[in-house]
Amino acid sequence: MTSLAAAAPIVGAAFIASSVEVVEAFTIVLAVAVVRGARPAALGAAAALAVLAAVVAAFGPLLASVPIHGLQLAVGVLLLVFGLGWLRKAVLRAGGVLALHDEKAAFSKETAALRESIAHDKAADWLGGVVAFKAVLLEGTEVVFIVLAVGARPGLLVPAALGAAAACVLVLAAGLALRRPLAKIPENSLKFLVGGLLTGFGVFWCCEGLGAPWPGGDWAILGLVALYLAAGLALAGVLRRSAGSPA
Amino acid sequence: MEVLRALAATLAKMFVTDLWLTATALAAVGLCALGLRTHVIGPAPLPFLLAGGVLAALAVGVIRGARR
Repeated sequence: MTSLAAAAPIVGAAFIASSVEVVEAFTIVLAVAVVRGARPAALGAAAALAVLAAVVAAFGPLLASVPIHGLQLAVGVLLLVFGLGWLRKAVLRAGGVLALHDEKAAFSKETAALRESIAHDKAADWLGGVVAFKAVLLEGTEVVFIVLAVGARPGLLVPAALGAAAACVLVLAAGLALRRPLAKIPENSLKFLVGGLLTGFGVFWCCEGLGAPWPGGDWAILGLVALYLAAGLALAGVLRRSAGSPA
Repeated sequence: MEVLRALAATLAKMFVTDLWLTATALAAVGLCALGLRTHVIGPAPLPFLLAGGVLAALAVGVIRGARR
């Protein structure tokens, strides 16, 4: 039986991380739909989703055959490295060192690039479809990794997949209703949160994989996530203060 | 071909946004594993040592990023 302490952060991590990636993919697919129409955008996105589904179907069952400690260590290391990268970047953005990601600017850039390409290309629908395919495949690869990684323990793959699926449905519903880039979603705050979640999971599973379990069991995940989020917030605060202080 | 190249670049970027940070995180896990195997570190303090090591790696990674 999967405990609430184990499942809740997994559903949350998969949901939030997937939301960020789906928003980014949606911006590009929307740009294709605006420039070339809904058909090539939808076909490209659907083809990419089919490829991603095939990857999950191929690799998901393989994970069950890997010894649990080896799997936890491998996944823990990957999650740790992936999560730390997100957290570091989110801290640098929150601290004003890096510019925040702007969905409106990304949409304008993608639309302009597509119009420019199409002016010189007769197979414009095909090109639009490939752009949508690439966007969904690349952003979806990260979603697939997160779902497989955070769900790589007996009974946790389904909660992780449900979290990701809920994010896809919610973002697509919002995007289709608004028919414009979802620029108001606080993307950096979400990335900050996901970075903390994945880093916490990574450290937890590395220790489990090494045979040194945390006191408190699965509840330690929540403590680890809180620790890395608090550290990230403190570091962002230091960066903001040092940027505001006279040189 | 271009899609495959972009996919490879995405996969690389997922795990190596900052080479120093990735190397430090891997080193922290590797040292903990080595310490445990050679009985230098016991299983009880290891989780706290790894958590602390990762915290230090994050702090230094952020400071390095801010200085660039």
